[in-house]
Amino acid sequence: MCVCSRFAKTTASIALAGCLLSWHTASHALDLLDGDFQLHGFASLTLVSTTDNNLFGQSDNQISKDFSEVGVNASWRLTPALQLSGGLLSRRAGGTDDGGVRLDYGLLDWAPMSSEGGRAGIRMGRIKTAYGLYNTTRDVPFTRPSIILPQSIYFERTRNLTVSADGAEVYVERFGEGGTLSASFAYGQPQTDTEAAKVPLVGLDRPGKLDSKLAPDLQILYEGAGNSYRLAFTALRLDLKYQPGYRDILQAGRFRLTPLIFSAQYNAENWSLTSEYALRRTSISDFGPYFYNGTFNGQSYYVQGTYRLTPQWEALLRYDAFYADQNDRDGKDFAAATRLPGFTRFAKDWTVGLRFDVTPQFMLRAEAHFVDGTGFLAAQDNPNPQALRRYWDNFMLQASFRF
Amino acid sequence: MVVIAHPAIAEDSMPRATLRAILGMRLQRWPGETPVKVFVLADETPEHATFSKSVLQVFPQQLRMAWDRQVFSGQGQYPEVIASTQEMLARVASTPGAIGYVKASEVTPNVRVLKIR
Repeated sequence: MCVCSRFAKTTASIALAGCLLSWHTASHALDLLDGDFQLHGFASLTLVSTTDNNLFGQSDNQISKDFSEVGVNASWRLTPALQLSGGLLSRRAGGTDDGGVRLDYGLLDWAPMSSEGGRAGIRMGRIKTAYGLYNTTRDVPFTRPSIILPQSIYFERTRNLTVSADGAEVYVERFGEGGTLSASFAYGQPQTDTEAAKVPLVGLDRPGKLDSKLAPDLQILYEGAGNSYRLAFTALRLDLKYQPGYRDILQAGRFRLTPLIFSAQYNAENWSLTSEYALRRTSISDFGPYFYNGTFNGQSYYVQGTYRLTPQWEALLRYDAFYADQNDRDGKDFAAATRLPGFTRFAKDWTVGLRFDVTPQFMLRAEAHFVDGTGFLAAQDNPNPQALRRYWDNFMLQASFRF
Repeated sequence: MVVIAHPAIAEDSMPRATLRAILGMRLQRWPGETPVKVFVLADETPEHATFSKSVLQVFPQQLRMAWDRQVFSGQGQYPEVIASTQEMLARVASTPGAIGYVKASEVTPNVRVLKIR
């Protein structure tokens, strides 16, 4: 079906971006009402080629152009205590995202308490989920350290569950001499109503649907000495229920996912060192005999260094490791139980990358991944698990524009 | 580099932590409830780099990343970028609640200099 509609959506997105850009060039200012109203956005296209397996479309031994991101956001500071913000996003990502325009976030931020020592407030609406250091701006290429975020923690395939939630978030910030301490607690409805959210949990072609309870999300962040170091702890709890469809072989099962993330970053003038570690407790129950039920602890971590060679050039080196079950790191038990390849249960990814900021608005990136395991690949792009290859490389080129 | 503010601002000094919160676009109000209006020079100007590193004690790229994170998640806004020191002085002098920075030798009598403690 969707070649036409996908093409139409992409064209619409590009046209939208084009209009905004030409307006920008024509008027040279998107700050209206004395700067209280601001409009910003970005557009990005990535070419992906893999030696085996598919990532973001048909990339196996060919070049996939099915990864693009276009976003526009507006914010309006109504009073010093009140800000209204909204962001639209169109994202194409192989079989997992079709480029349909959706509300990425839309919220009212009210900070009734504010003094020179700190502030406190509440955000209401669709709120970006605080999850590690990068999640709240995960689809904005300029804010990422690399073309794709470390997949062990920022999965592309299960992104919909943690991208944003509809609800409220209270936050407190304290501006101390040594640094800023922030804490936020959100309670909201994750987005589970798409195939992209359902497939990574229950697999392809399931007739049922996935519902989520309201999910709590806590983050504590300390940014020391002018952001020279940042330490964070995140705890999230997702409780999902599967409602079987007509003639479904699966029963009414339940997923409980409780990721805990520890994050640390050190920023010197010309280099940064970042590491995040996640312990992901997963409990799968009541799906019946035709599914992998059980409770296990997933483990993820990465260590990443970036170095600014010149003000415009930055190099990246990263090691990223993902294990679906830390008591079955090589996936042997899983393979014996399911007859699926054990290497689908882990992924170890060495990444090198280069960033070139041609201008502050225009960025080019190149990146290579050398991967052992397929733990983060999407079933939509790789429908037959028996056809997956354990060792594969991935090369990407990205051009991004922002205003 | 010195921090300058609109002449009607009551303070004559502020803690560095508060200045960082204001330039980080997290603190939007002066104690008297006047809205804060932040003016900066472009990232690549030597004045901005010197101000960031020696007065604010934040690397300019870290400041930029902090703004980006807030703007693209709906949690904040960018400061207004001013083209020149002359314009900085004029805008700070004429905008209630304004804060900015200039070289100490360029301060004019119609703005208030804030000491950082």
